[in-house]
Amino acid sequence: MSFALPARQVTFGRSAAPYQQPSQPSQPTQPSLGLALPGATSYSLPAPSNLALPGPSPLSQSHTPPPSQPQSVTATSNGATSVAVAGPSTPPANAVPTTPVPLTLEQQHITAVEGIVPTLQNIVATVNLDCRLDLKTIALHARNAEYNPKRFAAVIMRIRDPKTTALIFASGKMVVTGAKSEDDSRLASRKYARIVQKLGFDAKFAEFKIQNIVGSCDVKFPIRLEGLAYSHGQFSSYEPELFPGLIYRMLKPKVVLLIFVSGKIVLTGAKVREEIYTAFNTIYTVLCEFRKP
Amino acid sequence: MASAYYEFYRGSSIGMALTDSLDELITSGAITPQLAMKVLQQFDKSLADTMVKQVKNKTTLKARLGSLRTYRLCDDVWTFIVKNPSFKMESNEIVNAPRIKIIACKNGDAIEAGKK
Repeated sequence: MSFALPARQVTFGRSAAPYQQPSQPSQPTQPSLGLALPGATSYSLPAPSNLALPGPSPLSQSHTPPPSQPQSVTATSNGATSVAVAGPSTPPANAVPTTPVPLTLEQQHITAVEGIVPTLQNIVATVNLDCRLDLKTIALHARNAEYNPKRFAAVIMRIRDPKTTALIFASGKMVVTGAKSEDDSRLASRKYARIVQKLGFDAKFAEFKIQNIVGSCDVKFPIRLEGLAYSHGQFSSYEPELFPGLIYRMLKPKVVLLIFVSGKIVLTGAKVREEIYTAFNTIYTVLCEFRKP
Repeated sequence: MASAYYEFYRGSSIGMALTDSLDELITSGAITPQLAMKVLQQFDKSLADTMVKQVKNKTTLKARLGSLRTYRLCDDVWTFIVKNPSFKMESNEIVNAPRIKIIACKNGDAIEAGKK
């Protein structure tokens, strides 16, 4: 489905995945990188009526490695690194394996855990459209909208690309869920804002913030949850009669992990992608300790 | 209150015929417009009830996964636009269409229940 939104109008420059951020000091030739990279959140937004960002992002070019030093790349990056950086959201143009920079700390951590990298499954973000909305008008005129004020005081709207769901409230606040990457979440939010705008509201695009990131992965070995719960009692809650997984509340980074006997892990509560990765790396060493024989 | 019922059955051939007859009766002075309105409201209610209780014919709608183009829920009315559906009637006759619009409303009982 498309809402007949010209793709270019809502496309914002895909920022490189934030975990590549530490690599910028070694690329002083692209100072613009530093501004755009730190999470997608720090874009300064153009005027409210104009959701389009100017032109193609400078990022796509800035990540092309200088042709002079491609050799060092192959030396520093091994197979696991490329797994690490080829996250689901990483646009091919930004794929880093060829970037001639030493491995960042994040990436080294990731390579340390045998190439297992948590996959992002859901991203929840909020946006303020900064304008009162008449939900009935929206429900009547937009496609793929549900509005049942008796049940829930928001319009539930979906788009197919990026496959997401938005809750649109009369106050103009909006929650966008279901995106698989930060970029998708932001793109989807902009599309929803554009839809609302096209219905005649003076919608802006303010205060975009990622509220939660959920990731999951599989360590591919069974885990003794009782042992883990016993020795990490301060962080763990394991009540197999209530829920088959162990709930592990990590404090630094502040992430909640659901750990299952099968070795499948769900990580949630993160605000940035790195927290998911760091939390996984931290827990992985612990899990190895409690591997079922 | 009969006006809580949907008026879309008035557009059916039986509804049109009733409206025409009532018009004639009003112009000839046999009934008042108020009475005609009452008749139409009763017609809305009766047809809504009858469709639920006495019409037993069924048809099966088949559509491929992902053929729901759009949907909408507003004021208790669902609207679906389905691409390339095929209907299988009770007589095993199959009817195809490139695109259909389904409008689904509450039936008489649900309207009554909603009022309580």
